[in-house]
Amino acid sequence: MSCSTCAHFDPRPAAVEAAFPGLSSLSSAYAAVRAADGLCSRHERYVAASSVCGMHSASTCTRQS
Amino acid sequence: MQIVEPSSPHAAQGVRPSPIGVRRAALLRNEDWLSSFLGLALILVAASVFAAGGSIKWLAVAPQKWSHASDVLQQLRLNGVRYAALFAVWALLLGAAAAALGLGAVKFWRAFAPVFLVTAAIYFLGLWDQAAHYNLEPPLVALALGLLFSNSFGVPRWLDPGLRVELYIKVGIVLLGASLPLTLLAWAGPVAILQAAIVSLITFGVIYAVATRLGLDRRLAATLGTGGAVCGVSGAIAIGGAVGAKKQDISVAISLVVVWAIVMIFVLPLAARALGLSTGVAGAWIGTSEFADAAGLAAAQTYGGYAGKVAGISGHPDAAVTAFTLMKVIGRDMWIGVWAFVLSLIAATRWERTGIESRSGAGEIWKRFPKFVVGFLLASLLVTWFASGYAYGEYKTSVLPGLVAPLQALRTWAFTFAFLSIGLTTRVRELVAVGARPFLAFTAGAAVNVLLGLFLSTRVFGAFWSGLGQ
Repeated sequence: MSCSTCAHFDPRPAAVEAAFPGLSSLSSAYAAVRAADGLCSRHERYVAASSVCGMHSASTCTRQS
Repeated sequence: MQIVEPSSPHAAQGVRPSPIGVRRAALLRNEDWLSSFLGLALILVAASVFAAGGSIKWLAVAPQKWSHASDVLQQLRLNGVRYAALFAVWALLLGAAAAALGLGAVKFWRAFAPVFLVTAAIYFLGLWDQAAHYNLEPPLVALALGLLFSNSFGVPRWLDPGLRVELYIKVGIVLLGASLPLTLLAWAGPVAILQAAIVSLITFGVIYAVATRLGLDRRLAATLGTGGAVCGVSGAIAIGGAVGAKKQDISVAISLVVVWAIVMIFVLPLAARALGLSTGVAGAWIGTSEFADAAGLAAAQTYGGYAGKVAGISGHPDAAVTAFTLMKVIGRDMWIGVWAFVLSLIAATRWERTGIESRSGAGEIWKRFPKFVVGFLLASLLVTWFASGYAYGEYKTSVLPGLVAPLQALRTWAFTFAFLSIGLTTRVRELVAVGARPFLAFTAGAAVNVLLGLFLSTRVFGAFWSGLGQ
């Protein structure tokens, strides 16, 4: 199961811009270069949606990418 | 990306959206595609109106040179309706994009109105006949005003939806494609790619080597390296995700890029002016040495504004922005997907484990490709094809003033919205403390980048960039 279906994974642009002050000054969380990356609250890292880990926790949300 | 909360109909019924719906949602939630659609739509409308014997000149209004305040009032009296129409069109198009991004059209409009008004004031100020004497170039004024305001008084949160730097700058770049013939891109593109590749690889190598020698984590070193060598904040966030960097490390890289990029906006045009570089050479240098598109365009447009006004600076005013765009967009930005793919492979196979395993494949290259480059190239192709139906003389007397010039005016508006937004969104207090080691590593790379970029732009490819646009 990839990070994209994990409860600890948050790819929302608004959340990403809030997590990284200065991001919207010269770039954007809505940019294509970000692909489907998101914040991992379990590892405190910013990871690709296709990543996997042993601490996956199935999300109750339906995610669209 | 969108999360459908459990209370939503989709989740309640356990229904996943169809693959086509998912793809469409992804398309509309991406600033790159949206800016391409907006820019190309404007170009198509402009070309259609021109083909029918008209021009969008009336809509693409821009201030004219003035000497006294009464001249400004006169211009506003004569063209007030045109400015109102221009505001309505920008608000409609950009508001639609904001709605597609989930920012809310109404919230966007409320914030965009003051952005448009201040941009118009800055645009007028730049056309004052004493503006060059006082260094009141619109990009620098917009940036300085925004920085001053946001860092002394603070910016109310309701303005945030209207401060979309990347959306504005990408729309402007797509419109810029309309004034660059495809033949120019084919002729100058390979040189830009070669020069940018040399500088990017060496700059990345320097930052990465210094950072790891100083004991920094490899993922932080790579994030800093691509931030300095490829495409600034966008490079840092793309590589940070590809290699699975710590959140704090990405914040450090973003802070360093933002601070250095803002410094460079002011320093590079001044240094190029002191060296008496032509507009094409200065644009190439800025394209090699600035970190972010929006910051570099502010510096390049400022320098282009010196042509014909400051003694010793030769070249066409547009050559600075053209050379910058070739170097930055074609030479550097386009390759971010390749950097991400290669570094994610190295991170997964060679670097210390983090507990997260990367599964990135070659598809990463297209996923992270800055799609606004597609819009930029299509814009160039479209106008080149359209203009090919006219003789050269007719192009100069008819197509240039009737089609290309109005699109250039719209581009200047979009860029100035972006420059003002950079200043208003750069809040120094909100940037994280970076520590000495990341600062030293990034600064070493920035120094090499600037010197190597200057050497390549003036000594190795100087004749090429000087001849740009002539």
